[in-house]
Amino acid sequence: MKNSVFAVFKNGRSWLVASGAALVAVGMVPDNVSAHGFVGDYFFPPTITTDDPFATDEFSFPTVSWFKADGVATTDISFEFDKEIFPKFTLGIAGDYLFQRPEGGPGTSGWDDFVASAKYQLWENAPHQAILSVGAEWQIGGSGSSEVGADSTHVLTPTIYYGKAFGDLPDALNYAKPLAVTGTLGLDLPTRAEPNNLQWGFAVEYSLTYLQQEVKDIGLPAPFKTMIPLVEFSMTSPLNRGGGQTTGTINPGVLYGNPHFQIGAEALIPVNSVSGHTVGFVVQVQWFIDDLWPKVFGHPIFGSR
Amino acid sequence: MNNITRIIRFVWFRLSLAAVLFFAAQSPAWAHAFLDHADPKIGSTVTNSPGEIKLWFTQNLEPAFSTFDVKDAQGREVDIKALRPDSKNKSMLIASVPALPDGTYTVTWHVVSVDTHRTQGHFKFTVKTKR
Repeated sequence: MKNSVFAVFKNGRSWLVASGAALVAVGMVPDNVSAHGFVGDYFFPPTITTDDPFATDEFSFPTVSWFKADGVATTDISFEFDKEIFPKFTLGIAGDYLFQRPEGGPGTSGWDDFVASAKYQLWENAPHQAILSVGAEWQIGGSGSSEVGADSTHVLTPTIYYGKAFGDLPDALNYAKPLAVTGTLGLDLPTRAEPNNLQWGFAVEYSLTYLQQEVKDIGLPAPFKTMIPLVEFSMTSPLNRGGGQTTGTINPGVLYGNPHFQIGAEALIPVNSVSGHTVGFVVQVQWFIDDLWPKVFGHPIFGSR
Repeated sequence: MNNITRIIRFVWFRLSLAAVLFFAAQSPAWAHAFLDHADPKIGSTVTNSPGEIKLWFTQNLEPAFSTFDVKDAQGREVDIKALRPDSKNKSMLIASVPALPDGTYTVTWHVVSVDTHRTQGHFKFTVKTKR
């Protein structure tokens, strides 16, 4: 439920993804499987508030966000870990620890509901830098603390993930080639009579790395040459049962890539008054665990790609 | 905010910081190899045919699995000579090329970094001699 950052604060539900995992050592043979999200030449970075379409080993910790809605200021420190079990199939686990401070009231803290997930990369087209994945997330009802609003209801969210980069554009549109879009579309299926929400979001990215490496060396110095400016849109649209209107945030920010980690920061701007009146922020560190421990990560446990 | 919340916040924030420092300290000299820059420059127009094509990568390469080719605008492969890693710089590939007629050329590279991860990419440059 990465695409519903706002839901963390609005509904007290976790938005991260999740998994159980085992580790095996693998042989040192050339391998194009990794924790990195490549389709053809294009590297899609892990995004912060909308889940990316790659079923690869990923580990983010910490993700720190702050947001204020309904008079409650919430600080969220979270983690997410995904492990490729079979080729192109991952399981994940994620958790958020929330610190909530209502105006004029005592503060509370506790774990939000944990979220487990599964994802499969269904289709890729390397020349056209496109990818489609399917999966599901399971908000484990009752696994968090009711003091911070964690719900006892289980919520299953079947989700479609997609990504498309534009490196296949004609040379006349050279400077549009570093553009890419990734997104998700999921439907909440709660186990109780609660609203069915459409969880949707997308990210528009411009890879300065791709510009420098594939299109034109414009002489960008470090650290700018490994930066990716982006805007993410993270929305929740209730469909029934008096769920109300669409809520969410628009999140402009930037990602900085290093050989071993990526750090990103975004503002969280409410899309309407129902979503809040205060601009929040989120900062995330994503570790490229396949580079840190190449013998352990970057490979499925069973089989090979 | 009660004392327990304060203690949890204190511990959790510091655990996060400790994790960042721990993982940062793990950084080995291994990582995916990306193209850093090239000569001729990526996307450039040069006024003389280059005698060599040089590619600099962000990490050291496994020479047995690292190569590139050059094709002209019609997709015909240029007969490059002596493709080799640089003897002093293990993150660099060099090849000699014959005199190239005016036109746009595509360099396509496939490399394996010392941590065995494959990466690939391509870029174009144009030869346009002065008349």
